[in-house]
Amino acid sequence: MKALVIDDSRVMRKIVGGILVDAGFEVVEAADGQEALDQMTLNDDITLCCIDWNMPVMSGFEFVVEVRKHVQWRDVTLMMITTEGEQGQIVRALAAGAHEYVIKPFTPEVILDKLQFLGLVEMKETV
Amino acid sequence: MTSAATWEPLTGMDPVMTIAQDLFTTMIDGEPGHLSPWLGDTPVLEDPRYAWVDVDGPVVTRVMLMAGRATGENLTRALLAMDADEPVSDADFADAVGEIANVVGGNVKSLVTNPGALSLPVVGRDEPDNSSAMRIMATYFGWKGAPLGVSLWALT
Repeated sequence: MKALVIDDSRVMRKIVGGILVDAGFEVVEAADGQEALDQMTLNDDITLCCIDWNMPVMSGFEFVVEVRKHVQWRDVTLMMITTEGEQGQIVRALAAGAHEYVIKPFTPEVILDKLQFLGLVEMKETV
Repeated sequence: MTSAATWEPLTGMDPVMTIAQDLFTTMIDGEPGHLSPWLGDTPVLEDPRYAWVDVDGPVVTRVMLMAGRATGENLTRALLAMDADEPVSDADFADAVGEIANVVGGNVKSLVTNPGALSLPVVGRDEPDNSSAMRIMATYFGWKGAPLGVSLWALT
């Protein structure tokens, strides 16, 4: 599976990308929403996008709205990973078409739990 | 009618301490216990750097971090999982320290009444002009023995 990590911070792209690689994803990156749309066009096998909210050029929210306008991307899972933790922001993102919402700071386990819930990685074995 | 912003939840150190400890525990140290309140006199930062984000609104709230260059480099190494003696580029430094300000600022924003948009982080050698601003709170933390300052300002 291929994931697109969208964040204007290279540090955050590396952290999130590392978690996804460990989970078995191939990862491509974008530094803003517009660059992410370009990557989506170039990579038609992307199944997951991890999206920051505040970015230059095109925000993560604008990216979600744009993706949901295109029928060919309707099966792509969209997960916001952002510092924007207000209830209103979360509701806006989910209403626009995001599937999950993670607030920074986060642990790898939080991301993996969300991916398991979304059925994108296998459930952990329980004793 | 637009309601004014209020900062009552943030005037003490505890909420900011909680935000910072969550950040350091989860993303910088990987374990709790390395960030604590600074004890003693106000520290002097060697070769200081400043990173800040603004929360827009009826009154702009500025969240600012202050750290010596060496401390900022160590924070960058921790975030990027670099070796202890690995050189830190200016680009990585600005990116990492700016992201720390961004995470603290975003979590502060969720505690401010009637917040607006969060700005992109700014990192620099010079302290931003807060001369016409009202200081809401300011404190220092100790991270692995080094001081790290956090302050909140209401820009008028």
